[in-house]
This record gives sequence, structure tokens and C-alpha cells, in this order.
Amino acid sequence: MVFVMAGYTHYLFLAGLLTPGCVGAISAAQMCTEVTANLTYNCENLGLKEIPESLPATTKFLEFSFNFLPDLQNSTFSRLRDLVYLDLTRCEINWIHEDAFENNNDLSIVVLTGNPLIFVADTAFQGPRALKHLTLTQTGMTSVTFIPMQNLENLEILRLGSNHLSSIQLPSTFSAHNLKVLDFELNAIHHITKKDVASLKQANNLSLNLKGNNIRDIEDGAFHSTTFQSLNFGGIFDVSTVLKGLQNSTTQTLWLGSFQDVHDLDISPDMLEGLCNMSVKALNMQFHHFSNSAGIFQCFMGLHELDLTHTHLKSFPSDIKGMNQFKKLVLNQNEFDNLCHINAASFPSLTHLYVKGNMQKLDLGTGCLGKLKDLQHLDLSHSKVVSHTCCNAQLKNLSQLQHLNLSNNEPQTLQGEAFGECPQLKVLDFAFTHLHTDASPSPFQNLRLLQVLNLSNCLVETSNSQLLVGLQGLKYLDLGGNPFQSGILPKDNLLHPVDSLQVLILSSCGLTALEQQAFGGLGKLRYLDLQHNSLTSSGLAALSHLKGTHLNLAFNNIRIIPPNLLPVFSQQSIINLSHNPLDCTCSNIRFLIWYKENLHKISDPEETTCEDPPALRGVKLSNVTLSCALSAVGISFLVLFLLMGIGMFIVLARHFLVRKYENI
Amino acid sequence: MKIFMAPFLALVLSCPSCSSKWTTHTACKDNKLELLYQSCDPLQDFGFSVDHCNNPLSENLKIRFGTVLRYDIKELFLDINLFAMGKSVYSFSYPVCEADFPQFSFCGRRKGEKVYYAGDINNSAFPIGKGEYHILLRLYNENNSTIVCANFTVLSY
Repeated sequence: MVFVMAGYTHYLFLAGLLTPGCVGAISAAQMCTEVTANLTYNCENLGLKEIPESLPATTKFLEFSFNFLPDLQNSTFSRLRDLVYLDLTRCEINWIHEDAFENNNDLSIVVLTGNPLIFVADTAFQGPRALKHLTLTQTGMTSVTFIPMQNLENLEILRLGSNHLSSIQLPSTFSAHNLKVLDFELNAIHHITKKDVASLKQANNLSLNLKGNNIRDIEDGAFHSTTFQSLNFGGIFDVSTVLKGLQNSTTQTLWLGSFQDVHDLDISPDMLEGLCNMSVKALNMQFHHFSNSAGIFQCFMGLHELDLTHTHLKSFPSDIKGMNQFKKLVLNQNEFDNLCHINAASFPSLTHLYVKGNMQKLDLGTGCLGKLKDLQHLDLSHSKVVSHTCCNAQLKNLSQLQHLNLSNNEPQTLQGEAFGECPQLKVLDFAFTHLHTDASPSPFQNLRLLQVLNLSNCLVETSNSQLLVGLQGLKYLDLGGNPFQSGILPKDNLLHPVDSLQVLILSSCGLTALEQQAFGGLGKLRYLDLQHNSLTSSGLAALSHLKGTHLNLAFNNIRIIPPNLLPVFSQQSIINLSHNPLDCTCSNIRFLIWYKENLHKISDPEETTCEDPPALRGVKLSNVTLSCALSAVGISFLVLFLLMGIGMFIVLARHFLVRKYENI
Repeated sequence: MKIFMAPFLALVLSCPSCSSKWTTHTACKDNKLELLYQSCDPLQDFGFSVDHCNNPLSENLKIRFGTVLRYDIKELFLDINLFAMGKSVYSFSYPVCEADFPQFSFCGRRKGEKVYYAGDINNSAFPIGKGEYHILLRLYNENNSTIVCANFTVLSY
């Protein structure tokens, strides 16, 4: 607490009281951070050699990475009996001795990533009733027999990535009944045998990660009649090795993508033949080169989802048949000139289409997606989309479309009733796409079901009061980054038609004032974001109509809050006033008192600091106590001070006079 | 004033990494070009080298890079700011790892893992005019936690 007395003595008081505060902060810095009182503690990077005594015995979640615990013993964690989560990443652990976690019955998650383990005792993991996640990533393991198997029957996630393992075989003593995730990423597994896969049979719906293992062969029939939730063979040199090995298997998601830093074979259609003899719902082939895109679809018939991100595609052949099950197609980061080159008619059941980050200028053409009667989600963001008038010709027949993302594209001109072809739209995103509305003042007219509209940084004409006509159902509107004429949100503004709004974002709009009644009709507003404007308290008249709103006024120009605004603030749910040049002198005393009484409503109090007077610059508002009338104690101090001054003067004067006369 | 200085001195002493700087390393050196770097992450240093220090910089430079991850990198972004004569002349941001597009094989690795990368950076050829340049580079994850922070100095003769 910083107590500040009015008058010149406050410097002294301030300095005196700040000093013990600093000392406290230093000792706290060496200790752990309390995330949730008595429950969650973070002790990362402190170079600790033991569990600090200061941690309460009730601690459940402990982040203890980057400390120094060469050997874990029975006594190491015995005091923290309630531990549920324990992260010991890079603690230079060499030994985990017998019964190291004996007293931690509730322990569920143990992370041991990056520890140079030499030996783990047989009974190391005994004690926890249900150990569910065990991470042994990069612990130098050369064999899974290194892991003591006692008490691991509840394990759901086992991570063994970045080790030196050469086989995926689990010991027969390991019970994999509950195992859901088995991660062998970046090991040295080159061969997979029938016996290896058989050791995983107990697990149901397992997700097996073999990314970054250079698998050279899989024994014939190894995966025969096995079922996996997901299989990841990312970065493999020759995908046909995997596809041949997976004959007669069933997998929900098969990840066969590659990477920029991995050298692999170009894919010819016959390399994908193996796909015809297995069941896969979702396939990812990112970063591969197809030597001939005409034949690649021959074994894709059973797929529901296909991800061809960054596969250098310029077009699809038009004669693909039998793709009636395709629901989701991802074609991000490719090289299409025209949306019609996708030949969308081949995938008539598509519900989700993503053409994000196209590397060429993408012409949306006319009716290119017209055959996609079930299309619900369409993402064309970051794709250099060019079009002159949008969007009825481009989106022809997309009557089921609910989500449309056209953000981060070239400038678009919206025609009247621009989305007449997709009346079911619920979410529309145009962020960072410059919009012209010269053709019609109300382009969104028929979108009665639209709930979310992102027009941030679209440079829309905010003076056009007709812009949002027709959006009766709109709940979320982002108008951030669109400048308002002369910085004023007038009484009659474009927000009047959208009276069901719950979230309104007007950040970085260059606003200096909000006229009375500007939010008149917005009775349901829950969150109003006015960050990064130049609002002063005299320009906040419009807020009096809001009740129970989360009001974000951070990064504005508010100095003094007049008493008549305090009841308006009081009726809101949360207020953020951080990063404003707030005045902490007696002229703002009523607000400062209100602030302390309403701390529970304040968001980001750490950054809500004083600007004036200079002595208090940077001090948190919650730490300021002004005393604007001179108190009795203050007066007696002053009197005492004066008396002392006079006394001193007399003594000095006498001394001076005596010396002067002595010289004569 | 002694009493007031004490806590500040204690602060400096108790937190050596806050004030001390990591050594400046040489990433590559040639008679025409020199590339120096220094970690600006208070927690740790990192290792970096470039195979050839030609001017003009050749296409597809090969680099070697090693560090320990302090955070997961399911998503990883790169910010680069280039300064010439104290003024920012160029800056850009680039996604390295995204949840739906892990471009590199190291994407998705976890806190505590040692990461070593040796490979191309897919740059285009680039001539460097004579002088001294500074590059501020920052790699950060989806929570804006710093993975690598580096101050590069480019000396071109």
C-alpha cells in the first residue's frame, strides 16, 4: 500500500513505503508464482534443488520445469499429497528411485521431457491410483523395456518421442486397455512387424504417431483387420511403403503429409494404389508433389476428408467420378488461377471447402461452385481473390452456405443484395479486404440469419447509415479499424438497424466522441470494445444507455472521470480503463474512491495507472490513497515542522551573531 | 541514499540473467560479409550458423540451428525487423508452423525438447549494400511466448 499525503511530505512517505515493497518482490521472485491460491504453482526456471517449503501441501498442479533434481526419491514429493499434475521437464533427472511417487495417490499427469534418465526403478510409478498421462519425450531411451510397467494399466497417453527406439513393440507385461495416444515421433523405427502391431491390439481406437521415423518396410498383413483412430506417418520417404503395409486396416485419420525440410519421392498414381484396400475417412497429403494429378483420385473413393495443402496443384481433372462421399476438401496454399479449375462438380456432397492462401491471383469466376448444393463452409481467405462486383455470380446456387470467409483479399465491390444466393449465411468474414459499396448502400440486405459479421479494416463508409440494413439477427459486429468521419459516432449512425447486437467492436476507429443516443437501440449489448481510440470523458455521453455491459476503454485519452459518469460505470459489468492517462490528483478524487470500491469490476488493474501528478506516474490506481483535506495529524506535523524550523533558525542566528561579535 | 539503492542492487544481483547479456557469436565470416548474432532471450542462448557468407547472399541458404524449447511449438511465428542507420527499413511476419499447416518437420515439438535444424531457408538471392545493418528476429508461439529472440548485426565491406 502506498499512502500519499497531500503536500510536500508525500515524497518521503512514498519512498519509505516503497522500499519494503521492493524487498518483498525480490524474495518472491526467487520463489514460485501462485497461479491459483493453494492449488496451482509455477516454479519454472528457478534453479531449485528441492520442492520449496513455501508450497502448500494442498498444491494440485505444479509446473516445475527447468530446475535441478538429479534424483527423485520417495521423500521428494511426499509432502505434496494432493498432486494431480507434475511437470518436471528438463530438471536434469538421472534417477527415479523406488516409490518416488508413493504418496501421490491422485497423480494423473507426469511430464519428464528432456531428462537424461539413467534408470527408473521398478516401483517408480507405484502409488498413483490412476496415472493417465506419462511423457518420456527425449529421455535418451533405447528400449521400451526401460519403462517399469507396474501400475501403468490406467495409462491413456504415452509419449516416447525423440528417443532412440527402433521398435514400436510394447512389452507383454504392459496393459494397453486404456491407451488412446501412443507417440513414437522422431525415433529410429525402420521396420514394423506383425508382432509389433499385435502388441497394441488391446488398445481401442488408438492414435499412433510415427512421424519422422524413416520406415522402410512393414511386414505383409501386419495391420490386417486393425482399427486406429489416427495414424501419422508424416515425412515418410515413400508413401507406398505405408499404404502397402496398411492393407485391410481401418483408420479414421491417416496423416501422410510431408514437410519443406524433408526429401521425399514424387507421388505417382500407382503409389496410392494401396489406399484401395483399406478404409480411411480422412487423409492428409500436404507438401507432396503429384507427378500426375489426373490419376491420384482413383483410390480416394471412400474418403470423407482430403487435405491437399501446398501440393502445387493448378487444376483438377474434370472427369473424376465416384467422389460422392467427399465432405471436406482442403486445397490451401496451391496455385489455382480460377476457382472453376477445381472442377467442383466432381465432389457433389461437399460441405466444407477451403482454398486459403492461394499463391496466384484467384479469379472466383461465375458459378464455379454451383453444383455444391450442400456446401456450408467456404474459406477463400488470403487467396488474392479478385472480383469486380461481388458476390451473387461467384456464389451462385450456394443456398446452404453458412460460413463464408473472404478476409485478407484484394478490394471488392459489393453489389446490392450481394449475398442473395446464400440467404442461410450465419458467419461472414471480410476482415482486411477493402470493400466498396458504391453500387448499393445496403449490400447485406437479405441476410436475416447472419449472426457474425467481421468488417474490421475494410475501410467501409461508416457514414453510410444504410450499410447494415437487413441484419436483424446480427449478434457480433466487428468494425475495428474503420475510421469515422471527424472522429465522432453521431446520434444517427449505421448501428441503428442492428438492434440485437451482443458484441460490438469499434477499436482503432479514430473516435474522439460518442454522441448522446449513439447506442440508443442496442439494449442487448454485452461487450463494447472501444480500445485504441482517442476518447475523453466528455465524449462518453452515449454510454449512459448501456447496462450490464463489459466496457473496454483501454488505450484512450481519458484523464478525469466526472462524477456524473460514475453511476453509468456502476451499472456495467466489467470496465477496462488500462493505458489511459488517468489523473490521480484531488480533482479526480470521486472517481478514485469509486475505483477502489469497484475493483471487482475492473479488468486489467495492473495496467491501470496514474499519469498525473508526475510523482505518481506509473503507480497503480488501486494503490493510491489521496487525502484531499489536511487531516489533524497532517496539521500537527506541519506545526511541529514549523516550530522546529523556527527553533533551528534562532539557534543558527545566535551562533552566527556570537561568532561575528567574537571577531571584533 | 544507500538504503534506497540496496533493493535495486539486490534485484540486480539476485537476477543475473536480467542484466547480463549473452556472448555475441559469429554466424559466418568472409572478407566481404560478416554476420554476428546475440540472443536477447533473458533465459537462454542459442546456436546458429550459415554455410556461406557471400555478398550478394546466395539463393536457398543452408543454415544450422540449435536450441532448447521453453514452450511447445504447435504454432510458431517469425517476426523480422531490419534496421539501417538506426531506422526501421523493413519488417515482416511469417508463419512457420500452423495447426493446419505444419511446414517443417520440427513443428509440433514440445517444451523441453532440444531442437536441431540443418537445412534450407528458401530465401531469394539478395545483394547487401556496404554498411552496418541490424536485424531483430523473434520466434514466438501461439501464446506469444518467446521461443527465440536474436539481435543480428550484418557487416558488409
